[in-house]
Amino acid sequence: MFKNYLKTAWRNLLKNKGYSLINIGGLALGIAVALIIGLWIHDELTYNSYYNNKDRIAQVFQSQTFNGNTGTGPAIPLPLEPALRDGFADNFEHIMMSSWTQQGFLRVGDLNITRTGNYMQRMAPEFLNLEVIKGDRDGLREINSIMLAESTAETLFGNQDPIGKTVRIYNQYDLNVSAVYKDIPFNNSFNDTDYIIPWDHYVNNAEWIQNSKDNWGNNSWQMFVQIADNADMSTVSERIRNVKKDLNEDTAEFNPQLMLLPMDDWYLRSNFEDGKQVGGRIKYVWLFGIIGIFVLLLACINFMNLSTARSEKRAKEVGIRKSIGGQRSQLINQFLSESLLVVVFAFVMAVLIVLLSLDGFNDLARKEIAFPWESPLFWGLALGLIVFTSLLAGSYPALYLSSFRPVDVLKGTFKAGKYSGLPRKILVVLQFTVSVAFIIGTVIVMQQINHAKNRPVGYTMDGLVQIPTFSEDFNDKTELMREQFIGSGAVVEMATSSSPTTRIWSNRSGYTWEGKPDGFQEDFAWTEVSVDYAKTIDLKILEGRDFSRDIASDSMGILINETAVAYMGLENPVGTIIRDSDEEDPGPDMKIIGVVQDMIAQSPYEPVKQGWYVYDRYNNFSYYNLRLNPNQSASQSLATVERIFKDNFPAIPFQYDFVDAEYGEKFASEQRIGTLSGIFTALAILISCLGLFGLTSFVAEQRTKEIGVRKVLGASAFNVWNMLSKDFLKLVAISCFIAVPIAYYVMNGWLQEYPYRVILKWWIFGLAMLGAFGITVLTVSFQALKAARQNPVKSLRTE
Amino acid sequence: MITIQNLKKSFRTEEVETLALNNVNLKVDDGEFVAIMGPSGCGKSTLLNIIGMLDNPTEGSYNFAGNEVSGLKESQRTELRKGNLGFVFQSFNLIDELTVFENVELPLIYLNISKSERKQRVTEVLERMKMAHRANHFPQQLSGGQQQRVAISRAVITKPKLILADEPTGNLDSKNGLEVMNLLTELNQDGTTIVMVTHSDHDSHFAHRVVHLFDGQIVTQNQNRPVGAAI
Ligand SMILES: Nc1ncnc2c1ncn2[C@@H]1O[C@H](COP(=O)(O)OP(=O)(O)OP(=O)(O)O)[C@@H](O)[C@H]1O
Ligand SMILES: [Mg+2]
Repeated sequence: MFKNYLKTAWRNLLKNKGYSLINIGGLALGIAVALIIGLWIHDELTYNSYYNNKDRIAQVFQSQTFNGNTGTGPAIPLPLEPALRDGFADNFEHIMMSSWTQQGFLRVGDLNITRTGNYMQRMAPEFLNLEVIKGDRDGLREINSIMLAESTAETLFGNQDPIGKTVRIYNQYDLNVSAVYKDIPFNNSFNDTDYIIPWDHYVNNAEWIQNSKDNWGNNSWQMFVQIADNADMSTVSERIRNVKKDLNEDTAEFNPQLMLLPMDDWYLRSNFEDGKQVGGRIKYVWLFGIIGIFVLLLACINFMNLSTARSEKRAKEVGIRKSIGGQRSQLINQFLSESLLVVVFAFVMAVLIVLLSLDGFNDLARKEIAFPWESPLFWGLALGLIVFTSLLAGSYPALYLSSFRPVDVLKGTFKAGKYSGLPRKILVVLQFTVSVAFIIGTVIVMQQINHAKNRPVGYTMDGLVQIPTFSEDFNDKTELMREQFIGSGAVVEMATSSSPTTRIWSNRSGYTWEGKPDGFQEDFAWTEVSVDYAKTIDLKILEGRDFSRDIASDSMGILINETAVAYMGLENPVGTIIRDSDEEDPGPDMKIIGVVQDMIAQSPYEPVKQGWYVYDRYNNFSYYNLRLNPNQSASQSLATVERIFKDNFPAIPFQYDFVDAEYGEKFASEQRIGTLSGIFTALAILISCLGLFGLTSFVAEQRTKEIGVRKVLGASAFNVWNMLSKDFLKLVAISCFIAVPIAYYVMNGWLQEYPYRVILKWWIFGLAMLGAFGITVLTVSFQALKAARQNPVKSLRTE
Repeated sequence: MITIQNLKKSFRTEEVETLALNNVNLKVDDGEFVAIMGPSGCGKSTLLNIIGMLDNPTEGSYNFAGNEVSGLKESQRTELRKGNLGFVFQSFNLIDELTVFENVELPLIYLNISKSERKQRVTEVLERMKMAHRANHFPQQLSGGQQQRVAISRAVITKPKLILADEPTGNLDSKNGLEVMNLLTELNQDGTTIVMVTHSDHDSHFAHRVVHLFDGQIVTQNQNRPVGAAI
């Protein structure tokens, strides 16, 4: 019986090739989108699956409140380590201090490379599940050792055995390679940890860190923990909540709250608002999940619509089958078998589409997803998807078609009743509602990205290049380098800074000034710069003056930005004296010499933070900022810069970044989301149009005779086109009315997350509607005009 | 076999109610060949559809082989129809996607008959109808007469007690029409009861009895020859 069903189904497919192509093709596209999104979601959800103890690993987060604004982040102070080790030992299997993942200059012989790595405590290999392939698993035991990732070891030593060899870091310290570990796979935290150096090496060689051992106010490090086997994550998190507040009076006023962020949440749920965890990337998982379901739904709607639209043709078959003994249940099974066959074909095609597009998708989404040929879970879900789609797409046609009464259809008097097209119309409306909402959503996302991109940054990025200077080799050479760079003609100005122009690396508090309100909990972005910083990056001085080499007191001068003026409540900022509020050992007073324009150094979607630019007296800089000569090509200038750099620092790798590219990274995530949702929207529209195309051709076919008669009676091609298109355009109009308020509501909500956001304008909605109408007219017209141009005599004779 | 009493059938459309059959009383005996005649629109097809249990009467009773049919649900009617009835239509009504063989086989599939038996019975019937050489053709590749022979093959494949034919020769030329009438007569002589709607006086002579319908009512019944007698 089943075989008979499939045979009929197969012949039906062959007989209506165009229909089958639209049906299977559309469904295949929909399934392909659902599959790709499914793979993406799976990849997102399995982030960090490399770590065996994932469930027990966490990072300590801290939130503090300044002037009522609560900020939460992973930075913690050093005294927390002994506090937890002494007071809460039972709760933890491991407590591991770590530096931030930072760029390091590695040198072996004449080979200089830059890699990212960490300083970590001795348990790191166990904590991070490292698979040590050479050397000592306990590779951080000796203070002068370094563990290398396999890829880094290969770059540095080629085929030689690296164990016991020396690597020079920052051209300052010689370290012995103690172990080589397999690179941590891409889809995991710490995948960029190319090397690990003992934590003690870090502490012992930096006076400022040693000085911070008892300083609860300096939050500059990370702490990772693995809770004890019998401990409960949220209980431990709760236990340590007030440790800092209880142990330290000075910082208690900022209400420091500690908590554990489980490893499971690092990637997808690491956003905080007012000290509360509020999700994060997980929202994109939801977003794409919803898009995937909708696209699949659109494809299923096509299937339903095309099947029922053909009902009048198949009505006869139903009637005959019933009159010779076919039961309704048998017919339902028959139609479901047909839809199963179509879905299986579509699935095979979808797998092909996925295979062909996976590389491109990986590029776009910055993923390394492989097709899960060997995953039973995937095939299980695929089977589920096939059955689900067959039922979803096939049940309505099956119920509808099998309900025909044989008397009606066999007598030839069968006419789909006045309302029989209604479900079909509702489905078309649903399709276009989704499509129009997608169009609006995508346009607004793009607009918001452009809006932020076009936001004035406050300085000039064009031709601005930064070079990392993370080595003491650079100390006291700034003036010398500046002269050489400018003298070569490749550079017009140069200055140093303690953080990149596109970032804030340090925040400070603990200062007073005249007029500072009582109890004001100040917090400033802190950047140390050399004399020509404002000039180099083209930052405007709004009041006062820039630093000057000729005025000795400028070494105690600072520039503040516009926001800081308002924040500090200064009427006449220039000349204001700023005092260190540390009573025991105060630093020297500073004096505001100028006010600079606000520049974006953090998120382009957030307001600019109050910031100070302080004269760099202690070689605290981390970057050279170079303004390339605009009158010659950048590559030519960079070649000159590289030569001068290497002449002066032969042991340091030469590395540079264009500031505009760095800045562009801030949009990468939104840009990717925008591009992907754009592509999915286009596919959704394509699928809807395929369906519409199929529907129109059926309507045109059904009305061939009517069109013939009308033409004989004098109807023009336009009349016929109008007759066929009008119905569909009405449906699209209804869709727009439903989609616009929904899209407005959702997108408005999305935009609220961005303090700096585009204002929704009505023309966007108008444009989206116009687009939907345009696409509909094009799709429908193709068939309508074909029908309209047909020779009426021909169509009449076929009856 | 068939006893119809005070049967009424009305169709209700938006504007009007049409009384297609009005107080019809009819008895058809086992083995009888009855022709129904009358002007267009008098209710012939409606009556045939009710006899064929494709439709329910509005009023009155219809007894088929001892079972009261009026008021049965569709699924019950399907059950009763299965294997007992065969249909032949003016427009053949073959399924275009199936071959001749498969069209004829279909009722047997619905009766859950085994594959080997199906093959045997279909081959037999097609031989008898002289269509065996066309078994693998599709309906569109056949002439009207051939298509009607396939339709008759399909109607008789379940060895039904009753065959209902609605203008079986309406779309055929006289030669093919005659062939179909001969086939029906043959089936009748083998014991199958036949009720046939026709417009043709010529065709009606093949029947034992002719029933004349006018405006939904039976006006006269003529006995051509006694049941069992040859033409
Ligand atoms: N589904 C229906 N809805 C409304 N009226 C119907 C329906 N089917 C039949 N009728 C009406 O019932 C009457 C009888 O129709 P029927 O088809 O039985 O006529 P007929 O005798 O078979 O005619 P013909 O010889 O032209 O086939 C006609 O007036 C017809 O209009
Ligand atoms: Mg009729």
